[in-house]
Amino acid sequence: MSSGIGVNPECLSAFQELKLGKKTKYIIYAVNAEHTEIIPLKTSASSDYDEFLGDLPETECRWAVYDFEYEKEGAKRNKICFFSWAPDDAKIKAKMLFASSKDALRRSLVGIAAEIQGTDYSEVAHESVLDKVSRGN
Amino acid sequence: MVQYGGDEVSALVLDIGSSTLRAGYAGDDTPKAIIPTTYGFKPEAESGDISMGEVGAVGEVQSSKESKMYIGQHGPSVWRADMQIGNPMSEGMISDFKPIPALISHAFRDVMRCNPEEHPILVTEPAWNTTANRERMAEIMFEEFNVPAFYIANTGVLNAFAAGKGSALVIDIGQSQASVTPVVDGFVLRKGLAHSHLPQLIQAHARHTLTNATHNHPPIQLLPHQLIANKIPAEPGTPPRFTIREDRLVKTPASLLTYYENREVDEWMQSVAGVLDQGWNEQVATQRPPRQYEFPTGFNTYFGAERFQVGEYFFSHTRDMVAQNPGLPKTIPALITQALTACDPDMRQVLMGNIVLAGGGSLFAGLGERLNNELSRNFPHVKIHAPGNPTERRYGGWLGGSILGSLGTFHQLWISKEEWQEHGKAIVGQRCK
Repeated sequence: MSSGIGVNPECLSAFQELKLGKKTKYIIYAVNAEHTEIIPLKTSASSDYDEFLGDLPETECRWAVYDFEYEKEGAKRNKICFFSWAPDDAKIKAKMLFASSKDALRRSLVGIAAEIQGTDYSEVAHESVLDKVSRGN
Repeated sequence: MVQYGGDEVSALVLDIGSSTLRAGYAGDDTPKAIIPTTYGFKPEAESGDISMGEVGAVGEVQSSKESKMYIGQHGPSVWRADMQIGNPMSEGMISDFKPIPALISHAFRDVMRCNPEEHPILVTEPAWNTTANRERMAEIMFEEFNVPAFYIANTGVLNAFAAGKGSALVIDIGQSQASVTPVVDGFVLRKGLAHSHLPQLIQAHARHTLTNATHNHPPIQLLPHQLIANKIPAEPGTPPRFTIREDRLVKTPASLLTYYENREVDEWMQSVAGVLDQGWNEQVATQRPPRQYEFPTGFNTYFGAERFQVGEYFFSHTRDMVAQNPGLPKTIPALITQALTACDPDMRQVLMGNIVLAGGGSLFAGLGERLNNELSRNFPHVKIHAPGNPTERRYGGWLGGSILGSLGTFHQLWISKEEWQEHGKAIVGQRCK
């Protein structure tokens, strides 16, 4: 079941740039005001994780793609993470809209290594994400 | 394909539960019509005349030659001589489709005063609904109500989405069923679906507690106000003084009496019963303040520890009970275990971190806290999402459908009347996954 909301081609080009260009650190996505398609809100090259968290509003839903870097067994690795951000205090309409439209965006982005579903800041904190991505390989 | 521009689709949303049928406009935040799913009927119609004054407020429908139905707010709750009680639901699903069109028509035409022929309609279904059942619903909508477009959505997914989650473990406690539905990326994990008629057991237990003598009270009569002519205020714990309407009592069939009595039990449960947050402990229960409750007969008393015993059955069954009743419904923790066992181990942690509590039964006092405590003991990261707003909790499924149905972009998913005529029943399964 989906909302039928489409994905703006810019979402994909921003993602390709992050994946291949290696300059972008993260992208924030949202549904446009008319509720017709998903658009990229912001792309950033900042490697400050707190700045990224600052772009996840307290009472609004967002999606984000973050190029997560971490060290394991002495080697630097990175994984592209997909975030679904739906805080408990967001409006129910927004939550419904985002949850039912996520699949469209998620399917169009190829090469995501981990998915994070977050409702509060502890679930998207650096340690929580690190714990999730470093598990397995 | 039907085209509806913008967000102004004004679709209708219909959510049928065991206790109430909810109907309203998509985009609204509460259903316009909330009517009991239970209806009254008389096996034989009196010759001819229907009192016209009542039409509208009461849905009186001559459904077949021999029975007359009483639907809506003034349906089963208004006492009528020899009125029987029926309910089309069993196990949360529609099992008797005969009264369904009359119930739906009453909600749309009489209560909402709208014409279903002019609006696309989104209907909800429980996660365990059968294919035949949903196709029948589509058939009723297209063939009997002539709706221009139709969609059927799963309440489990709607509740998960309404909480903003694509993946969640939805615990839905209704009037007759308690269910645990694992939803992963917007789809129900069918093999993990678990449900039982636990709420019915709890109601039966509450009834037993009330109608049998305890150290605290004599057996309590659950007579409804409809059958009481007058009463005199009584001191707490003293025998009530009231006059029964004998003339009515003799014309009250067993099904109607049971319905009225169960409503008294529900009422008592909603205002007095609860569950302790840390498991059963006689001492803690006696320390909690007792609550006074008055029944329609005028009998009133303070309920102490016993009001907390009722809620224990959501979480555990005593060994004696299990030994004596092989068909005991599964408790909530047992349902969760059953659901999780069927899921991929990697998925379990995600699900436990995203529990969504829904349904009117989940408003039972203390249930959320207790569940959180029980689960935290066994799982590392448990997070329960329970809307604080009772309307959101009670009508979460309807509300989810309301938002979805109001989206202009949702038009591509509606099954239009033309498509129905061209493809028939098969299209329901293809479109509504």
